[in-house]
Amino acid sequence: MTDRRRINGPPGGTRPPIFASSLESTSDIVAERPQRQRQPNELRKIFLKTGLIPSASGSSYLEFEPSTSLSAARSKPKSVIPPSSSLKLACTVHGPKPLPRSATFSPNLVLTTHVKYAPFAGRRRKGHVRDASERDLGVHLETALRGAIVAERWPKSGLDITITILEAEDDRWWGDAPDSHDAAWGMMNVLAGCITAASAAISDARIDCLDLVAGGVAAVVADETAGRETTSQLMLDTDPADHRSILSACVVAYMPARDEITELWLKGDNSKSSVGTDNRGLGHEALIDGAVDAARGAHSVLAEAVRESAQRFAGLPSGDFT
Amino acid sequence: MTSSLPSLAIPGQRLGSVTTFTAGPGTHVHHSHVYASIAGPVFVDPAQPKSQAKSTISISRTARVKTTPSATAASKSKPKYNTLPGVDSVVLARVTRVQKRQATVSILVVLDESASSKALNPLQSASDNDNIESILSSAANPENHSSSDELRFQALIRKEDVRAVEKDRVVMDEMFRVGDIVRGTVISLGDQSFYYLTTARNDLGVVMARSEAGNMMFPVSWKEMRDPVTGAAEQRKVARPF
Repeated sequence: MTDRRRINGPPGGTRPPIFASSLESTSDIVAERPQRQRQPNELRKIFLKTGLIPSASGSSYLEFEPSTSLSAARSKPKSVIPPSSSLKLACTVHGPKPLPRSATFSPNLVLTTHVKYAPFAGRRRKGHVRDASERDLGVHLETALRGAIVAERWPKSGLDITITILEAEDDRWWGDAPDSHDAAWGMMNVLAGCITAASAAISDARIDCLDLVAGGVAAVVADETAGRETTSQLMLDTDPADHRSILSACVVAYMPARDEITELWLKGDNSKSSVGTDNRGLGHEALIDGAVDAARGAHSVLAEAVRESAQRFAGLPSGDFT
Repeated sequence: MTSSLPSLAIPGQRLGSVTTFTAGPGTHVHHSHVYASIAGPVFVDPAQPKSQAKSTISISRTARVKTTPSATAASKSKPKYNTLPGVDSVVLARVTRVQKRQATVSILVVLDESASSKALNPLQSASDNDNIESILSSAANPENHSSSDELRFQALIRKEDVRAVEKDRVVMDEMFRVGDIVRGTVISLGDQSFYYLTTARNDLGVVMARSEAGNMMFPVSWKEMRDPVTGAAEQRKVARPF
């Protein structure tokens, strides 16, 4: 259904088109393909800060470190199209506030989550009305947080969590044509970021939680390196633009203090990588373990951001804790 | 024992064993250990030496006045915990509607026991984002009503809960007017939409009111307030001034 109430931008891409005739040679564009510069178990740096939106009871802002190719392209742009993108999102928490009049009595906190891409966030323009993938992300986020919040301490009240994605992750490198093992891989990184940011914002709003829940992504990727046959490899915190094909990926929402997973999302075909290779390190259990490791990494950033927020709140000078 | 505790905790941080501590507000128990459930400064309420009770560990929900984290400072300035109205909590509410059998109010501030017995101190108020003075002064002004009522918790004062004596002679119009600020205690969480309040105590009732002429009135008796400009008296269920 089309949105007739708002002024929509032109449908299609948010980046200017590049015409084949303007390229000096086709090898140019192939050379621009970003490569993963990190180790397989090395995560991107995360910027996370709480309390940036004064009107909300809790808020946070999260940003992933741009990949080396992206930061190189930003300093010396060769093309108007950035080679990859890095996640940027803002999360607000409103509440606890009274339930609407129409709602029935609830002895627990009623959690509602909204995830919305800004129209300019991805390479395809998003509408102002939430589409199916955004609603899907909202449901996943709600599942992830519901297990972490102590809901019975807030009777008769509601909590609204709203996430605005300012820059989304790509699903694949923009120069690649969509192919068979193509899926919304970027969405999984977005979900992991949403979980981490929402956890920080909830903690900033001083809602009781069992633990800080952090999101992490791991994927089995098949990279065709020149001259060798395709090898599958498990990578943590994959940027889909870095890889030619991702076979399967996994997002978890993980609580390190209790060693519990509140949300698990596996996607892709795992059989291709493990059949015949006799490599048990690429099964789905290894994938989940990898995602948990990534979540542990995100948790260390999250814990530091929450500690900073608590210090600011308590009026303690920074560094004055044991 | 206290020295091993961090001064600041984050959710999921283990604070101690249940054999030495009782879990207070802001904490929860998991696998016989006390864990923090919110981020904030840690307080230990020492047990009475005579009793066998364990000391209570809790995490403050509000900023402290003092920055020195010590057990004595903690016991003097009791931190506030819950911003939600619970049973027996004292609240300040604004009257939004007066009917024959009940008055509808919207809860502005939840006070705790120590704050309600003293003068209103913004630092001890419950809702950490809001400043009591600004809430009350804006609430008494009839122009800016009902805009933020949707975001506040609604409550009812039923006719029989207004005062303790002569309950059957209560006339709601002579007890409250729209715009009055009322101090009351919560008697029940109520149904899906309303809390239930009572003002059946000497220290509960109308604390701030404007006369028909629009001036702030002062209390002259437990059931009368007077306008300092016109001298006209109006009937209210007045709270005992402190």
